[in-house]
Amino acid sequence: MSWISRIKNGLFPRKLDDQLREEMSDHLARRAAALRDRGLSPEEAKRQASIRFGNVTQLREQSREIRLSAMLESTLQDVRYSWRGILKSPAFAITAILSLALAIGANTAIYSIVDAAMLRPLPVAEPDRLIRLALPRIDEPGSDSSAEDESFSYPLYLQFRTAVGDSARLALFSWAEQIEVQIPNADAPIEKAVRQFVSGESFDILGATPALGRLFSADEDRVPWGHPFAVISYDYWKRRFQSDPGILGRRMQIGGKTYSIIGVARQGFFGVEPGKFVDVWLPAMMYSKAAFTSQTWSWFRIFGRLSPGTTRMQVQARLQPVLRDHQEVLVKGFPTMPPAIRQQFRDADLRVHPGATGASNFRETFARPLWIVLGVSAGILLIACSNVASLLLARATARAAEMAMRISLGAARARLVRQLVTESMLLATLAGALGWIMARLAAPVLVGLLSRGKTDPVRFALSMDTRVLLFSAAVSTLAAVMFGLLPAWQASGAQPIEQLRDVRAGLAGKLRLGRFFVGIQVAFAFSLVVAGASFLFSLRNLFAVDTGFDPRNVAVITLSSSGLSDMTQKEQLNLLLDQLQTRIEALPEIQGAATAQSMLFDGTHWSVQVILPGRPPSEREESLYSVSPRYFSTMRIPLLAGRDFEQRDRSESSQPRPIIVNQAFARRYFGDQNPLGRVFQTPYDGMHLMSMRVIGVVANSTLSSLRNGPQPIVFTVVRGTNLFTLYVRSHLALGSVVRMVDREAQAIGFGTRIREVTTLETLIGSTLLREKLLAEIGGFFAFLGLLLAAIGLFGLLNYSVKRRTREIGIRAALGARPRALVVLVFREIFGTVGAGLMAGLVGAIALLTGIRSLLFGIALVDPLVVSTAAAVFLAAAGLAGGLPATRAATIDPTVALRHE
Amino acid sequence: MSSTNSVQTALDLLVLTVLSRRGPLHGYGIATAIEDLSEEALRIDEGSLYPALHRMEEAGWITAKWMVTENKRRARIYELTRAGKKQLAAETERWSSFSASVARVLRHA
Repeated sequence: MSWISRIKNGLFPRKLDDQLREEMSDHLARRAAALRDRGLSPEEAKRQASIRFGNVTQLREQSREIRLSAMLESTLQDVRYSWRGILKSPAFAITAILSLALAIGANTAIYSIVDAAMLRPLPVAEPDRLIRLALPRIDEPGSDSSAEDESFSYPLYLQFRTAVGDSARLALFSWAEQIEVQIPNADAPIEKAVRQFVSGESFDILGATPALGRLFSADEDRVPWGHPFAVISYDYWKRRFQSDPGILGRRMQIGGKTYSIIGVARQGFFGVEPGKFVDVWLPAMMYSKAAFTSQTWSWFRIFGRLSPGTTRMQVQARLQPVLRDHQEVLVKGFPTMPPAIRQQFRDADLRVHPGATGASNFRETFARPLWIVLGVSAGILLIACSNVASLLLARATARAAEMAMRISLGAARARLVRQLVTESMLLATLAGALGWIMARLAAPVLVGLLSRGKTDPVRFALSMDTRVLLFSAAVSTLAAVMFGLLPAWQASGAQPIEQLRDVRAGLAGKLRLGRFFVGIQVAFAFSLVVAGASFLFSLRNLFAVDTGFDPRNVAVITLSSSGLSDMTQKEQLNLLLDQLQTRIEALPEIQGAATAQSMLFDGTHWSVQVILPGRPPSEREESLYSVSPRYFSTMRIPLLAGRDFEQRDRSESSQPRPIIVNQAFARRYFGDQNPLGRVFQTPYDGMHLMSMRVIGVVANSTLSSLRNGPQPIVFTVVRGTNLFTLYVRSHLALGSVVRMVDREAQAIGFGTRIREVTTLETLIGSTLLREKLLAEIGGFFAFLGLLLAAIGLFGLLNYSVKRRTREIGIRAALGARPRALVVLVFREIFGTVGAGLMAGLVGAIALLTGIRSLLFGIALVDPLVVSTAAAVFLAAAGLAGGLPATRAATIDPTVALRHE
Repeated sequence: MSSTNSVQTALDLLVLTVLSRRGPLHGYGIATAIEDLSEEALRIDEGSLYPALHRMEEAGWITAKWMVTENKRRARIYELTRAGKKQLAAETERWSSFSASVARVLRHA
């Protein structure tokens, strides 16, 4: 009987009883019918049938006993027997369980993150009816990207809401951002919280309910700046307010405005962005006033809930005409827009995606790496499985005599296979339990690695729930089947006669199978080592990229002057920037100081279109970065021609605007001609044009990404801003620099204070977080794969030396030198390892093709990478084979020949 | 060998033989076939066939599945497995050599 029906019978004994009853009454009925045909009366036929049958109840009982006891007994027996077998060879068991546990743990840990970030539906009611809107991203011509744009403007959102009618309800969700808050008023210390603006019906549409007070409603959508109310998350309520039941009506300062808390969202509701936990929700109406009328100010995502019976296609059909009209109006506002871009705006099709899993920036960055890592850990599992399979094979040799004995005593092959599979299941179960514990510990650490170096950490609801548990169990079972079935089948196929006559007879086949498993391990492990090496080398390449400036000993300090408005007090702010810079330059041990409008590498800088006289507007926009005088000398970017900025360049009257360009810009737009004094125009606010004149040329430097090589940059002088970045070059420790800057900032007044502190080197490092993570994870998996493959090789060689002890002894007795014996041992695996390496290289190429975009400066078949990986691999293989080889070389012929 | 055991072995052998000659059958079919084959010489309680069938099923010699039969009733149909065929061959061998030696003894007595 199959295991499944066995378990079913055990769990549902009544069903078994019914079956027995049915079978027997069927017999009685047939017999009675036959007797009736012979002329007996129905009653007599029934009576006779019953007499001939015997005691029905007793027989049924007997049958039931047979079924249940056979099931229980044989299963229990299998488990007991397996447990004894495991205890008998602890070294085997520990190796097998540990390597499996590592693999299962890695798979479970990574899956739990993949699940939380990508697969699990939002914890809201009926997530299947949620939708998410997106547009194709407008790309510079030539760049090929499938990326999407999820941001929309308020006027378009209102038009969508009207057009969608009763087919769906739409809601807006701004990006969740970390901001400064003060509780309860502006005198309180500054704290950080994650804030999100939402439209009034957002909560209702998601089906979120309050734990306390109320959530927003359509009433909150009426008056710009008229709804100073906040809803906080359950988590924030617990963490920040110690679950204070009197929280309602409490005040808090958010972005310079006072809000009163009207409700706490229910436990477990974190918004629509897996990876982020929102602390405070504010009504969309409290966003910047200008955003409500701007067609180009896109600041939120749109989610919606389909009405019952409507499809995403229907919603798309309703909204598409609105989008087309909107885009038409939009492009009319940009007369200098290049035709290719204009066409992209016109052709944009609205995409209505399922919204069940929410939206996530994290997902965009890490989806591919995570899937790849999950695939790689599946590879690790395969290595571990073939490892354990070859261990089992080696063990099967030791048990060949036992198996032969059991077969000749009449054990059915199926029974033996079941016995051996039980053993595998037991191993896998133990390994699965251990792996699950490892995953529980490792997953939060991994998430920590993901958000390392970020002010705004990634957080996941990493509950090790049934989904993850099921995954873990499924992986373990799969593993058991993979590593257990083949060896079990082979072991149970032992031919009693041969086995009892000579234990060595049936082993050639087993060794072949063992080699096959080791070959698989070598292939997988080698491709992991190649991939790991690629990540490491590409990280090294990225670190070696010339940034164009000297990043050592530069403190990067963000400051704000909340006492001055950057709309009305630009002149005072200009003065303040100058003062701060000169005061800090005057301090001892300071080699240079400069300010800039934003932080390098933070990805938020302006860009300009370039219109040269007599030429069509440029197809691409170039980066614009505003810096103070002496920025280039502070950063040690060489000034190649012309002059640096000066105070007077700030004045609004200096027209055309003086700019400094880098070499890449000069080459692209002026070719070989002297760029100094050249003038171009750039559109601003859509319809207006501004003239710019080149006053200097600097060497190339990096602004945002290390990957793309030197990009053209336009530098302008920084003007009145109350949020700016200060670069200070000094050999002093960061702490002393910060203290000095803090003192000067307070002395200068206007509420000037430090917001964030970092160093230029840290900033560069933070752009490589993903690469670092991949190098670490890739390195870890490569190491794991290498370790497992080494264990596999060791097992195979050890087994083969044991098997050939007598032969080696004879050779030694006949005068073979130790070196020849070592060669003899290694020759055994030479072909296997060679074939495995070739297959691994092919696998690595396939893998690298898939992750090409994550690498930097690495060719598909990079000689340096491949030779390093091969060297590492062969060293590991040499180590693994060394011990058995040494043993072979030192075999004592007299002992060996007596060895049986 | 106790007497119950020898009856059991005989019954097993009969069932296996019937199944191997007539193909898949339900319990009642097997019972009537045994009747036919032994020309009613071997009379057993028909019901005792079932524990024997279930035991052989556990041993893996036969398998069973529920099927709808000619009279639209559900019946449990038994079928010989490979292990069962082996078992039948081994048992037949034993029986024939046993009966041959008995015959030899009787001839030379």
